[in-house]
Amino acid sequence: MTAVAEPLLSPELLARLERLEFVSRKVFRGRMKGERRSPRKGQSVEFADFRNYVPGDDLRMIDWNLYARLDQLFLKLFMEEEDLHVDVLIDGSGSMDFGTPTKFRTACQLGAAIGYVGMCRGDRVTVAAMGPHAAAAPVGRGRAGLPRMTSYLESIRPVHDVPLHDAVRDFLARRRGAGVCVLISDLMDKAGFETALRMLTGRRLDVFLVHILAPEEYDPPVRGDRRLIDAEDGDRVEITVNTVVLQRYRENVRRFIESVRGFCSRRDIVYLPVRSDTPVDDVMTRYLRRRGVVR
Amino acid sequence: MFPSLNLLPSLPPWGWIALASIPIGIVALYFLKLRREPVAVPSTYLWATTIEDLHVNSLFQRLRRSVLLLLQLLAVLLAAVALLRPGRRGDDYQTTRRVFLIDRSASMSAADGPDGRTRLQTAIDAVGDRIDAMDDDETAMIVAFSDRSQTLQPFTSDRTRLRAALERVGPTADRTDVRPALSAADGLANPRRSSQVGDTNDVQVAEARPADLLILSDGGFGSRGGGAVDDFSLGNLVPQYLPMGRSGTVNVAVTAFSASRDLRDPGVVNVFAAVAGSGGDQTLTRTATLRAGDQFLDAATVEVEPGDTAELSFQIESDDDLRLSLSLDAADALPLDDVGYTAIRPAAPVQILVVGDENTALTTGLNTPRVAAISRVETLPREALSGDAFRRRAAAGTDDLIIFDRCRPADMPAASTLFIGEVPPASSAEGGSWSFTGPAAPAAVVDVDRGHPLMRYLELFSLLIASARPIEGPESTEVLVEADIGPVIAVAPRDGYQDCVVSFALFESVEGETVLNTNWYAERSWPVFLLNAVRTLAGGSEVAAAPSFRPGDAVRMRLPSTVKEVTVRRYDVAAGAGGEVVETVTIGPGGLFETTATDRPGVYELTAGGRVVESFAVNLFDAAESDLAVAPELSIGYEPVAGDFAASERRYEYWRWALLGMLGLIAGEWWVYSRRIS
Repeated sequence: MTAVAEPLLSPELLARLERLEFVSRKVFRGRMKGERRSPRKGQSVEFADFRNYVPGDDLRMIDWNLYARLDQLFLKLFMEEEDLHVDVLIDGSGSMDFGTPTKFRTACQLGAAIGYVGMCRGDRVTVAAMGPHAAAAPVGRGRAGLPRMTSYLESIRPVHDVPLHDAVRDFLARRRGAGVCVLISDLMDKAGFETALRMLTGRRLDVFLVHILAPEEYDPPVRGDRRLIDAEDGDRVEITVNTVVLQRYRENVRRFIESVRGFCSRRDIVYLPVRSDTPVDDVMTRYLRRRGVVR
Repeated sequence: MFPSLNLLPSLPPWGWIALASIPIGIVALYFLKLRREPVAVPSTYLWATTIEDLHVNSLFQRLRRSVLLLLQLLAVLLAAVALLRPGRRGDDYQTTRRVFLIDRSASMSAADGPDGRTRLQTAIDAVGDRIDAMDDDETAMIVAFSDRSQTLQPFTSDRTRLRAALERVGPTADRTDVRPALSAADGLANPRRSSQVGDTNDVQVAEARPADLLILSDGGFGSRGGGAVDDFSLGNLVPQYLPMGRSGTVNVAVTAFSASRDLRDPGVVNVFAAVAGSGGDQTLTRTATLRAGDQFLDAATVEVEPGDTAELSFQIESDDDLRLSLSLDAADALPLDDVGYTAIRPAAPVQILVVGDENTALTTGLNTPRVAAISRVETLPREALSGDAFRRRAAAGTDDLIIFDRCRPADMPAASTLFIGEVPPASSAEGGSWSFTGPAAPAAVVDVDRGHPLMRYLELFSLLIASARPIEGPESTEVLVEADIGPVIAVAPRDGYQDCVVSFALFESVEGETVLNTNWYAERSWPVFLLNAVRTLAGGSEVAAAPSFRPGDAVRMRLPSTVKEVTVRRYDVAAGAGGEVVETVTIGPGGLFETTATDRPGVYELTAGGRVVESFAVNLFDAAESDLAVAPELSIGYEPVAGDFAASERRYEYWRWALLGMLGLIAGEWWVYSRRIS
């Protein structure tokens, strides 16, 4: 992987990200009060409901206007605003270390951008690279968490063989409760991506899948008699690449993307195919906004 | 009619099998591809899926889609086409049969063709081109001729056999006679009839088969020396004369070369040579070098006008046997006749037996130093004739000459004989017998055959003969001395021997006393006659010039009877001092040596027991062969056949285009390959 001197997120991008808000299609319980509504009735200014007073209730919640009219004690319930758990999982396998820029670099930028949006809204954000570096991922809340997050992302490198479902299982073992999970991966796992996604949806997580592929994977610059070596498991495939084979390959890529899209559609997963050479700015401010992921 | 395209496979069957295995090898190598460029990819997941999709028909997909493989197979196909040598002939013949008469005489070795090629090589190339151009339904026959004809390949349409026969055509140093070759072609094209001409019941023994007769020669043959053969009828043969060589080729040749010892001073050898020039219009100058073996002896400059002959003479001193060569320095078109060979023959003592009463004149005459140097003489009394010992000796042929003085044996011995005062016994020779034809009477010499070797240097007209009887011999008898009463000295051949009869004795017994019958014993001619007899009848010689033969001639010589086997060794300027062994020959009865292994010029020495017993030389010595003029036309049976000087029929070959196409394909294949790996 080439050394990158520029920061993951530029100041201009950070400024724009601060105006965005992460949209979760589900309302989750949180541990701390945040800027989001919670199923738990609380002390926000947004009215939710009334209920009969029972001894022990907070007297400050009694609606005295209703008592004056009806002569009964009712408690006025307001929507409780809580924080959101946002987990961004970045595929750290060797296959991500390809493309110009590499898929991993773009994934880190995207992860950082999404994480920063969550932090700005007071969400509980974890941006982790799946694999051996996952445990070291910091948990951030508020803008102050940005340096630790970017420092972590800058420090990690793709490792060779990280099976997707193993990495997700490891993540879920450490993760408690519901929340939002953004998975950024190329899904190049010979064991299949379906198991990993099923595990995520099974935990009632609001799952977003950012499927990142390099331009070279859409249109490989390979011709003639070649021995293809898999970057993760060292598998070798001897092939004679000609026009027919290339057509077949492109058709396979298209079918692969369609199969992922179909799988996500059936399981209420937001699917976002992204080319690694697409600027992160565009992805965040146009693409994700258009898809309703942020607002 | 436009000649059809034909093929001329240039590989043997195993070659085609090997060629057929090349495409198989290419396809095998294609699938075994040892060199694949390794490329790292994020994952082989999607590629593996792609290959699986293609596996269903991958073999045919690869074969069909691989431009490289296609180009390689096409290149091999074009190579095979090139090796098949497709082509067509540029001309047509009148018949489908062809007879090639290839002249391989000495003059065809003249190197006046393009690139220094000899006339024979040019002729072989021309025939090769015509064989290549033959269609499958055409047949041809190859006949090579010099002064003899050799059918190298009878009629066949198998071009491989024709080419193999053509490779066997080699140069000779022989003279030219096209007649035997014409007869060979004539036998096929003009089959003879079974009986006499005019017989109405006559039937033809075979079907006449017309043929094109192609004569590849320089025309140096025929009765008039200009390519004319009069007594021959072409019949169904359609002649075509393809002249080889070019007129005006300059050549200087040694046409005669001999050596002999000076009679008065045997230590001196006189060498004579004749040099002939031909071609061009300027005086030709050469340096002639005389060598004995490898040793330089003398040299002389000779100038000769074209069409003329110049003579050279040398005088050298030597008492030994010599192998002499005379070579002209400047190389010309025909090196074969630039060297002449001769030899001074070694002394060979011969065995002489004298049978008869004591004869002082005879004994004295055989004891002269000249005779004694070349012979061993034994004497037997007259009575020995009736003994078994003499009969066995006579039948064994151990003597080279037996002199019967006033006596004769019951049967003729296996040796040459000299009868003095007696004739051989009756029925001893074919074609008649020796006999006296008249009574004894005084005789005076009337005529002497001085040309005969026996009579050389003899002066006999002062001879006085008291009593002589005329003689008559067999049919082939040559009368050497004719007297007024009839022949008195004669010679006749007998089974390889010679019998000489002198009808008068030197002495006669009259009433028990010996009286003189002639004064010959006191004449100088008497010992000379005996010397001639020893030389001519016994084959003995002191030192003399070796005979010269033409290349290919059969050589017959009489050797001393003691020699049973000889080794023939040939010497020439190229063979060096050691010479080369030609053959080993067992000597026949009576010392007869025969050989036909005389194809190449040089000095041939016959050795037995480490001693040279005889020698002879083989030289071209033929002015007609050395004259390299090319006959512009032939005349066969008074029918002129014009020389087709421009005839250079070639087969129009297309293999070069196939080869070029193959090279183009290889270049294209390389270009495609380079693009792929770049």
